Amino acid sequence: MGTVTRRHLTDLPSTPGLLSALLLATVLAALSFGLPALDRGVSAQRGLRAGEPYRVAAGVTVVPPAGATLDVTGTRPGEDRGTALFRLGRVRYAIAVQPFSGDLTQAAVRLRQRITGTSGYQVTGTQLAVSTAGGLAGLQGGYTAGDRGGRYAVFVAHGLTIEVTVSGAGLDLDHTLPAIDASTRTLRYEGGR
Amino acid sequence: MSEAVRPGIPRPATPLRLPAFWVVVTLLATGAVRMSQILARFLESYPLATITALGLFALLAVPFWLFVQELDFLEREPAGLLAVAFAWGGLVATSVSIPGSTALENLIAKLGSPGLAADWGAALAGPTVEEIAKTLGVVAIVLIARSQVNSVLDGVVYGALVGLGFQIVEDIVFAIGAVALAGQGDEIQPVITTFLVRGFLAGVWSHTLFGALAGAGIGYLVVGTDRGWCRRITMAGLALSGAWASHVLWNSPLFREGLGNGAVALLAVLVFKGLPPLLLILHLVRRAHDREAEYYVARLAGLGDPEVITEGELRALGSGSRRAAARRHAAERAGRKARATVRRLQRAQARLAVELSRAPELADRHQAEVREHRATLRALGHPEAVEGIHSWRHTASAVGTAAVAIAVLWVALSALGGA
Repeated sequence: MGTVTRRHLTDLPSTPGLLSALLLATVLAALSFGLPALDRGVSAQRGLRAGEPYRVAAGVTVVPPAGATLDVTGTRPGEDRGTALFRLGRVRYAIAVQPFSGDLTQAAVRLRQRITGTSGYQVTGTQLAVSTAGGLAGLQGGYTAGDRGGRYAVFVAHGLTIEVTVSGAGLDLDHTLPAIDASTRTLRYEGGR
Repeated sequence: MSEAVRPGIPRPATPLRLPAFWVVVTLLATGAVRMSQILARFLESYPLATITALGLFALLAVPFWLFVQELDFLEREPAGLLAVAFAWGGLVATSVSIPGSTALENLIAKLGSPGLAADWGAALAGPTVEEIAKTLGVVAIVLIARSQVNSVLDGVVYGALVGLGFQIVEDIVFAIGAVALAGQGDEIQPVITTFLVRGFLAGVWSHTLFGALAGAGIGYLVVGTDRGWCRRITMAGLALSGAWASHVLWNSPLFREGLGNGAVALLAVLVFKGLPPLLLILHLVRRAHDREAEYYVARLAGLGDPEVITEGELRALGSGSRRAAARRHAAERAGRKARATVRRLQRAQARLAVELSRAPELADRHQAEVREHRATLRALGHPEAVEGIHSWRHTASAVGTAAVAIAVLWVALSALGGA
């Protein structure tokens, strides 16, 4: 048996050249840059019917503010947990529902720590009690992140925690907060998980 | 039947002159920068949890790496290439998959619905981007060191290591994600839970396995030269599709409802969604291993020299479990030194087999090495590296270890199911 040459090993082209490697890099670029570009090219906003309750998840509903759109990239409905993301102009209004076995104080501590766990985010002011028209009791407060402001609210009911976070630039936030606060007060647990 | 192995060239050229090598180096460096930025953010926000995750998941890589090394016993792949495969999985495939999978899941929500994305987004987006990015790691190995991929098993080995690198880094990212989600500050409990769920319970049927299957396809594409291009490309595509389908099944919402939340339900999900691909892929890997082993053992058998290898040793060398049994037998009969010498003899015999397949005229050095180890074994009173009679102690030890593992698994399942 003689010495084996490259040609014996495989019938692939004799020199795996720059072209093959660039093709490989192109496929990677398509995955890491092309897909996000395509994603950005397709609108994420969906219109909502004014005044109609939106089912977030796990039997929790909310009436979104007038003029709000649903951002489907941050919305994931579910039987036992889920999220909804609304946008009012440049203000972000997010609601997250998930199973929770603690009390309201623990839920508030958890949410505050998650907010402050993000680099540059600070909780401001004191927490205030808040309640909804559907009888959910909660706590709310504020936070800042650079030139952006934010509000949070948390409710605990029926083995669930409902976390509300609102963020946007100062002026935008001031304009939309009354409508968002009114929307938050429509949060309701309707059961039927 | 086609040859299982296409022998490599005796002294492969350095890859430094290949443009592909520098493209791969650039991609690895870019991935390293990207993942370092993520790691730095983790360390800044959750230093204790991040260090714990790094330590635990690095430990988890050890048994997987050892398993792959044992698969790779006969014709060992260069350590540098194994490291490149692991790094590709951990640095390139992950940094590509993070934006790619997110974008694809968003597109599923936009073009389908948020409900579809909630149920099937993770099942479809992750596997689609990740399996392609990982498989390209084996393609990269072929581009920079084609002469090292000379059997389907080599593709399995590189694919498994790409998958292992991806799995370890992804697990660390998930663990720190769990810490952030828990909102308890820099706590390690979510890291431990993630380690138990993703490392212990889900680790076996994860990226290492999927990567091995896709890698087998690339191995076949490269070495199956007696088949037409159409068949080879089809087989490589089928292997990638199999890896994708296994991944989709694992991530899918199937069986999520209706079985409750207890330990039995969790076990049922693991068995129904994880076991079929696991058994199928292990069967394919075993076949690839056995075909490669047959090829190399036949090279040694052709020598007809019992000083180099005896009939009993030929039988033992082709199987990982029999090689281990031969080492245990040596330890029982002649002590630890004999065990170590048997391992060295087996390694020398494997090196000789590979050299015989590539350049028989250069095999004298390896023959001398084998004879040297044989002489040592003879001096220790254990001249032949063969399996002993099956001992009840080994069986009892194996059964005991399995019982303890099942008990630990059950406790973990109960704790997690009840959580």
